[in-house]
Amino acid sequence: MRVVIAEDDALLREGLVLLLNTAGIEVTAAVDNATDFRAAVAAERPDAVVVDVRLPPTFTDDGLRAAVEARRLYPGLPVLVLSAFVENSYAAELLADGAGGVGYLLKERVGRVEHFLDSLRRVADGGTAMDPEVISQLLVRRRADDPLSTLTAREREVLGLMAEGHDNSAIAGLLVVSDGAVHKHIRNIFTKLALVGDEGGHRRVLAVLAYLNAAQGS
Amino acid sequence: MPHNRGMSSTSRAPNAVVRAFAECWRAIRYLVIGGGTALLAMIGIIGVVSMVAFSAIGVGLPAVPEAARLLHRLTNLDRRRAAELTGTPIPEPHHPLTGSLGERIRTVVTDPATRRDVVWLLLHGPLGLILLALAIGLPLGGLNQLAIPAYWRLVPGGVPGALDFQVDSWAKAWASVLIGLTYLGMTLLLPAAARGHARLARKLLRPATGVRLSDRVAELTASRAAALDAHGAELRRIERDLHDGTQARIAAVIMQLGIAEQLRGRDPDAAFGLVRKAQDTAMDALAELRDVVRGIYPPILSDRGLDGAVTALAARSPIPCLLALGKVGRRPAAVEAAAYFIIAEALANATKHSGAEQVTVGLDATGDTLVITVGDDGRGGADEALGSGLAGIRRRVDAFDGRTELTSPVGGPTRLRVELPCGS
Repeated sequence: MRVVIAEDDALLREGLVLLLNTAGIEVTAAVDNATDFRAAVAAERPDAVVVDVRLPPTFTDDGLRAAVEARRLYPGLPVLVLSAFVENSYAAELLADGAGGVGYLLKERVGRVEHFLDSLRRVADGGTAMDPEVISQLLVRRRADDPLSTLTAREREVLGLMAEGHDNSAIAGLLVVSDGAVHKHIRNIFTKLALVGDEGGHRRVLAVLAYLNAAQGS
Repeated sequence: MPHNRGMSSTSRAPNAVVRAFAECWRAIRYLVIGGGTALLAMIGIIGVVSMVAFSAIGVGLPAVPEAARLLHRLTNLDRRRAAELTGTPIPEPHHPLTGSLGERIRTVVTDPATRRDVVWLLLHGPLGLILLALAIGLPLGGLNQLAIPAYWRLVPGGVPGALDFQVDSWAKAWASVLIGLTYLGMTLLLPAAARGHARLARKLLRPATGVRLSDRVAELTASRAAALDAHGAELRRIERDLHDGTQARIAAVIMQLGIAEQLRGRDPDAAFGLVRKAQDTAMDALAELRDVVRGIYPPILSDRGLDGAVTALAARSPIPCLLALGKVGRRPAAVEAAAYFIIAEALANATKHSGAEQVTVGLDATGDTLVITVGDDGRGGADEALGSGLAGIRRRVDAFDGRTELTSPVGGPTRLRVELPCGS
C-alpha cells in the first residue's frame, strides 16, 4: 500500500512514517501543509491518504477541505482524517459522497497501533473507520419516541461498532460473542430502525451512519 | 444651468407656494393627531392622580410598574411624532423595569424621566387641545369668512360672522373677508406652532442633560465588573480543570512509566502492563484537555466561524432545531465564543426543561450588534431565579454590555433574545 501523509507536527509526522513503514506500508510523501498535500496526491496517486484536519496555511480546517477536494478529484480515494477533536459535521462532510473509503479518528487512536493499522486498511479497502466519539455523539438519546430508545443496551453497542465500520466478525471479537449472536442483533436493529439493506459491507455502515445523521439533523 | 435661469425664476414662486402649502398641511396633521394624544394625556393625568391616590393607601402599588409602562407608551407616541417632525430622534430616557416588584416600583419612582413624563402630560393635555382647535378652526374658519360675501344675503337675518357680530350688510360682509384673510394668514403660522410644540416635546421627553451619560457610566461600570467577575470565574474553572484533571493524569503517566522502567528487568510482563496503563491514562488526559479547550474556545469556531459552529450545534441538538442565519461574518473571538456558548446553553436548557418539539435559533447582525434568538414550543415557565443556565447566559451577556430578554409564560412558548455589541 502506498500512502501520503499530511501532518504539521513534526514529531507526529515522523512517528506516523515510522509506524507505517514498520507495518510494511510505503509512505511516498509526508508533507506539513495543505498545498503540498494537494501536489503530493496529484504526483503520487497514492492508495490512501492520512490527513490532519488543522494544517497550514490558515491553521483552520485546511486539511479537511483538501481531503474532501482530493476525493472530488479522485473519486473513491481512501481518506483517513486525523484530528485533535472530533466534530460530527466534519464526519458528515467526509461521508457526503456516499463512496466509502472514509476514516475520521482522534489523533491519539494512532497510539493503539494495531487498531489504527486495522482502521487504515479498512479505509483503503473502501470501508469506514469512525471514531467512537463521533458515534457516541450521534447516539445521544434525542426524544421519547426515538426508535433508538427501543434498542437494548447490547444492540446499541453493536450498532455503535457497526457505525464505526467494523464487520460482523470484528464485532463478535470485540464483544466476545459468537458470529451468530451478532447476526441476530443486527437483524433486530435493522427491524427496529426500519432500515433496509444488505447485512454486510460498507454500504451497511453508510446506511447506519446516514440514519443516525438524518435522525439528528432533522 | 444658465440657459434655464429665466424659467426657474418664474417657477420658483409657485414652488414656494406649494412648499408653504405642504408645510402647513404637515403642521395641521401633526397638530390634529397631537389633539388625539392630548386627549389621551388628559386621561393619563386622571390615571396618574388615581395611581398616586391608590398607592398612598397601598392597594395601587402592584400596578405601578404596569401603569408606568402605559405612561411610557403614551409619551413614546409624542416622542415618535416630535422626532418625525424635527427629523431628530428622541432617545427613550426610561430606566428598564426589571427585577422584583419592589425594585421595579423603586425604579419608577426614582427615575427622573417619570416626573418629566408627568409634566409633559400636564402641559401637552391642555396645550395640545388648544392647538387642535387652532389647526382646524383657522383654515376652515378663514375659508368660511372668505365665502361670506357670496352667501350672506341668502340667509334671512344674516349669518353669524367672527367676533360675535351678525353679518347683515355688505360692509360687514367685506369686513368678514378681511377677517378671513387674517385667519388664513395665521394658518401660515401653524408650522411654527407645530415646530415649537415639537421642540417643547423634545426638551421634556429626551433624557435630562447629564442623566443619560451618568446612566451609561453606571451601566458600563456594572458590565465591566461583570466582565471581570466572569473572566475571573472562567480562569478559576480552567485552572481547576487543568489542575485536577490533566496535570494529575500526566503526573500519573510519568509515574507509571517510571515504575515500568524499574520493573523492566525483573518483571517484563508487569512493566508492559504498566506501559499500556500509562497509554490509557495519557488518552484520558487528552480527552479532558479536549473538554477544557472546548470550554475556552471551541475549535470549530476558528475553523468555520460562528455560523458554521452554530450550524453544527443545531445539528447536534436532540430537539429538532430550525436555524435562521443572517449574514454575521467574523466577529471578535470573545464575542463569537460568548454567542456560541449562549446558544449552546439555551439549547441545553430547552432540551432539559422545555419538553419542546421544536427549537428555533436565530442569529443575525444589525450594525455592530449580534442578535441571538432562541425559541421553543415547550411548556414555558423558565425562571431565571431557578435555572442557573439562564443566569449564566445573563452574566455572559452583561459582561459584554449586551441585553437579555426572556419571555416564558407558563404553558409556553419560551423566547430568549440576546443582543451582543461587537464594538470595542
